[in-house]
Amino acid sequence: MKKNIFALTLLLSMFFTTFSTTLWAQKATKEAAVKVEGEVLKTLSLTLSDLAKLPHVEAIMKDRDGQLQHYSGVPVFEILKQAGVTLGKELKGENLTKYMLVRSSDGYEVVFSLAELDPVFTNRVIILADQKDGKPLADRVGPFRLVVPDENRPARSVLEVSNLIIRFAKE
Amino acid sequence: MFLVLATAGILIAAADINPFYTDPYKLEYPDYFGNRISIPADNPTTKQGVYLGRMLFYETKLSSSKTISCASCHQQKLAFADSKAFSSGINDMPTKRNSMSLSNLLWVRNFFWDGRAKGLEQQATFPLNDPHEMGNYLEQAVKDLQRTKEYPPLFKAAFGTTEITVDRLTKAIAQFERTLISANAPYDKYLRGEYKPTPEELNGMELFMNSPVPSKNSRGANCAQCHGTPKMYMELFHNNGLDSIPKDIGREEITGMENDRGRFRVATLRNIELTAPYMHDGRFKTLEEVLDHYNEHILSSRTLSLSLQDRSNVEKGKTLGLTAQEKSNIISFLKMLTDTDFVNDPRFANPHLKKVK
Repeated sequence: MKKNIFALTLLLSMFFTTFSTTLWAQKATKEAAVKVEGEVLKTLSLTLSDLAKLPHVEAIMKDRDGQLQHYSGVPVFEILKQAGVTLGKELKGENLTKYMLVRSSDGYEVVFSLAELDPVFTNRVIILADQKDGKPLADRVGPFRLVVPDENRPARSVLEVSNLIIRFAKE
Repeated sequence: MFLVLATAGILIAAADINPFYTDPYKLEYPDYFGNRISIPADNPTTKQGVYLGRMLFYETKLSSSKTISCASCHQQKLAFADSKAFSSGINDMPTKRNSMSLSNLLWVRNFFWDGRAKGLEQQATFPLNDPHEMGNYLEQAVKDLQRTKEYPPLFKAAFGTTEITVDRLTKAIAQFERTLISANAPYDKYLRGEYKPTPEELNGMELFMNSPVPSKNSRGANCAQCHGTPKMYMELFHNNGLDSIPKDIGREEITGMENDRGRFRVATLRNIELTAPYMHDGRFKTLEEVLDHYNEHILSSRTLSLSLQDRSNVEKGKTLGLTAQEKSNIISFLKMLTDTDFVNDPRFANPHLKKVK
């Protein structure tokens, strides 16, 4: 009997958790979020508050006029690891033919090879930024943007990031 | 032995289901268009499918009033656009937005001014099902066509059986639309080294392609930022400063995201000389008005494209600052995108007219 009550409680709590998550997710559809999808073990949809919970680092890039800009955000590597993307020890063999397509909400797209994002391969840390000079990003820039340090053109530091899509390069 | 029999059985069954042959349609286009094309695996482009699609594209029986076909608002002589700000559907009901020119759709991934349809097959269902455009007649039209003499054999040739379905109908229209490739304008001839532009056209082309850098005395109109590449569009949705508070919120209606307010597709500029009036609401009657807009009348708002802000040929200038001559030269270049072969190509013309002769 005790067992039954326990099972019922568990069932009920599972039901309410699912129900409340669904409600929350419905409300969040209008909230800006970055989706991590494709060749992942777990699809992610990160809102500003989700991203705020992850460890942040600083990154610096030059803007169009050559001025240094200071951003804060989460290394893309850490986000992809959470989604179960083949990085670190798994980034070998055919996995080295994978790429990340970054899409902006206006449709703009660029790619990175996974090796460009992995600290095993490179010391450059590319971040998904949510802050500049300690403040949220401006309209048309944020709420999320990519910051790619040490590039001569800012064209891959995508504004208004909406999707990070992992795919195999298929010849 | 059993295995052999089983295999033979499967083969016979397969032959039974699939006893028809189609000829692949060769889509020809220049290398500079690139190969990022979209053809769904379940709808390969075939000669039989394209012909059927062309018949359907020009078929007025697809509308409830039997007066409107796709070609009513997408006329070949106008690069498959029409000349109205808002097209007329059944009973002269105006549509919500300006009819888009149809060319080089093989490379487009998100259709309509707001990008709501993911592929041409899906796109075709919208006007057919719209009560104001073709009268939401698709389900009935399929039954009507089934009773005709001419269509069942055409569906059989394209899809293997005489059965007419909504899925097959939209697939055939999509196949035809994929063949609408415009790549023989004077600009293409220039890219192939077969045409020498006039000084006005050359200057217009340079202005079109370049960003303005007043400190280096380099003049530009920054058009290629969004309309660059030889296809003359990019798969982008931008707010181009038509309104501060847009009456039509554009892509926001689809995505529910505030940062998409007033964003619309970057339209192709191929054959732009033929597709007036311009913009999603057809508010500009001439290319001169379009150039005046980008040069002098950009209106600011939270979602105004960054490509249209602080780009000036004058130090610290707020507007683009092109001269009247420069604007005129850009229009000369835009007219280099008019492909007379495309608008006269008999492969794209109304196939029903033959019967009248």
